[in-house]
Amino acid sequence: MLLTTSVGSLPKPDYLTKARTQTRKGELDARQLRSLEEQATREWIRIQEELDIDIIVDGEQYRGDMVAYFAEHLDGFKQSELVRSYGNRYYRKPIITGKVTRPTPVTVGWWRFAQGLTTRPVKGMLTGPYTIMDWSFNEHYPSRRAATLAIAHVVRDEARDLERAGAQYIQVDEPAISTRPEEMDLAIEALGIVTKGLKAKTITHICYGDFNAIGPKLHKLPVDQIDLEFANRNFELLDFFKKRKRFPKEIGLGVVDVHSHRMEPTDEVVANLKKALKVFNPEQIYVDPDCGLKTRTVEEATAKLRLVVEATKAVRAELFN
Amino acid sequence: MKTTTVGNYPKVAEGAYTTKLIGAITRWQRQELTDAQLEDTSREITRAVIQEHERAGLDVLTDGQIRWEDLVTPVAKRLKGFEINGLSRWFNNNVYYRRPILHKVPVRNGPILVEEYRFAASCTKKPVKAVLPGPYTFVALCEDRHYKARGPFVRKMAEILNEEARALAQAGAPIVQFDEPAIGFGKTDIKLAVDALGIATRGVKAKTAVYTYFGRLDGALEPLMRAKVDIVGVDVVSEPSTLGALRRAKITKELALGCLDGRNTKLESVAELHTLFDAVRKRVPSDRLYINPNCGLEFLPHAQAQAKLQRLAQAVRTYKG
Repeated sequence: MLLTTSVGSLPKPDYLTKARTQTRKGELDARQLRSLEEQATREWIRIQEELDIDIIVDGEQYRGDMVAYFAEHLDGFKQSELVRSYGNRYYRKPIITGKVTRPTPVTVGWWRFAQGLTTRPVKGMLTGPYTIMDWSFNEHYPSRRAATLAIAHVVRDEARDLERAGAQYIQVDEPAISTRPEEMDLAIEALGIVTKGLKAKTITHICYGDFNAIGPKLHKLPVDQIDLEFANRNFELLDFFKKRKRFPKEIGLGVVDVHSHRMEPTDEVVANLKKALKVFNPEQIYVDPDCGLKTRTVEEATAKLRLVVEATKAVRAELFN
Repeated sequence: MKTTTVGNYPKVAEGAYTTKLIGAITRWQRQELTDAQLEDTSREITRAVIQEHERAGLDVLTDGQIRWEDLVTPVAKRLKGFEINGLSRWFNNNVYYRRPILHKVPVRNGPILVEEYRFAASCTKKPVKAVLPGPYTFVALCEDRHYKARGPFVRKMAEILNEEARALAQAGAPIVQFDEPAIGFGKTDIKLAVDALGIATRGVKAKTAVYTYFGRLDGALEPLMRAKVDIVGVDVVSEPSTLGALRRAKITKELALGCLDGRNTKLESVAELHTLFDAVRKRVPSDRLYINPNCGLEFLPHAQAQAKLQRLAQAVRTYKG
């Protein structure tokens, strides 16, 4: 019980960030980049094993943006010029220009590579259809709904291939779901297409947003586990669950804030975990950081993961006594 | 029918003007560039944007809001009483703005945008309108630690924005526009919003406009027709129901029809725009009609933003209504 895991992305070591820039400039070829991505993946798997994390991830060392990565590997997307996200930050937002199809599996090769390095289960990590739609322009499909459902079928094929390859956990992230509560039903329908018939444990991660609007429908998300950010809202989300009847799904409990340099004291994480145990059963809880750690440094991310494990072990020990 | 834009426009253009603003801001942040050097770059790009709008054949221009981080920061950072804080989601977009925190009574110590306005107006012989955040939206986007009540905060902001609007009119702006995307986005105190517009436009010796976008206007359109403004801007793209609301309302103001999607790259056909013009022309004489995108074009990559401008001008030029 109280298994530990992480949400998906982990920071890229400096040598890899540099190599990605060099590759963009044509100074490094794809094969050289690939070998550095493999090296970074090996390092992260080893770190997660040493930290004693139960369910591990490949760290997405070979991905940039979580939507752009899939857009680059699927047919039907083209890359745009720069658009601004905030302040002085720009990115290339994919454009759907044709029918979205999957010429070959996107993540399965990397999953096999990572799983080949460890005996611990490695999660398959996918971006959900609603988020891929919402974070892309759409010039092809007649509506947001049509685009979402078309993408759902492609993500489903990828999820099935991951399961066939042996993935016991498949996470389909939908951070965009909280942006437009009025489209929650569409997101649920699309996720249902992805997870239908899967025997692997399915998880979805949802980011902050208008939680009061989407909260009441969370239990309808067709996955086994909902992963949420608790730490960056001072565990106020617990009040939402406290007021309702027992949540029928597993809960991914984000216990450290990924957007802050601050290292939470172990005691604080332990206390928060215990608070959560008053609302959820121990078997129901998976403990992890709030969100992907890619915006932290390698050292910070490692320290945050260590905190997750240490606090969880302390609470486990108390539960057994 | 006059053509115009809502306000913002891509700050970078890989295929046309330049992406150098990104580097300039980064270097300015590192104090490697002086304020004056950054201002030179901002002016260069503002001029390029204005020329592009002229070439597209637009009737009423803006400065493209090249210096604007978002709708509220440029104003909040020049007022006393505010602190610029962390990122918040920009309505239902995957775009973020910095949420100002109000600590004490806001004070305007002098003109905010007048110099920028003068420069923009000097770049062209065409009329350049001035754009400001509307008081209701401004407050909706702030965290209020001072008034702890919306009414007094909105009215105070309306007074401050009124001072700025008067100054902009004095500097020669033929139109002063207030952006109010918060009207119709979620629960709206429309009476307060309309009262505040009355304060904000009082004694302004120019035409005044209120632009709404993103939200639903059912229930808000009739009160807006009683607001003390000359032009009401509506977005018929984001909410199809707005077109129905337009058909039912008695339109007593000049109308600015937001009819090209500023949030999606898909280019509208001239024919579909003409159909929309037909529908609206039944309610509003053409000399009281502005045609523009539904919102600022900065959500789009430059090439597609430019294509929208050109299509807008083409559709109006070829319309024989």
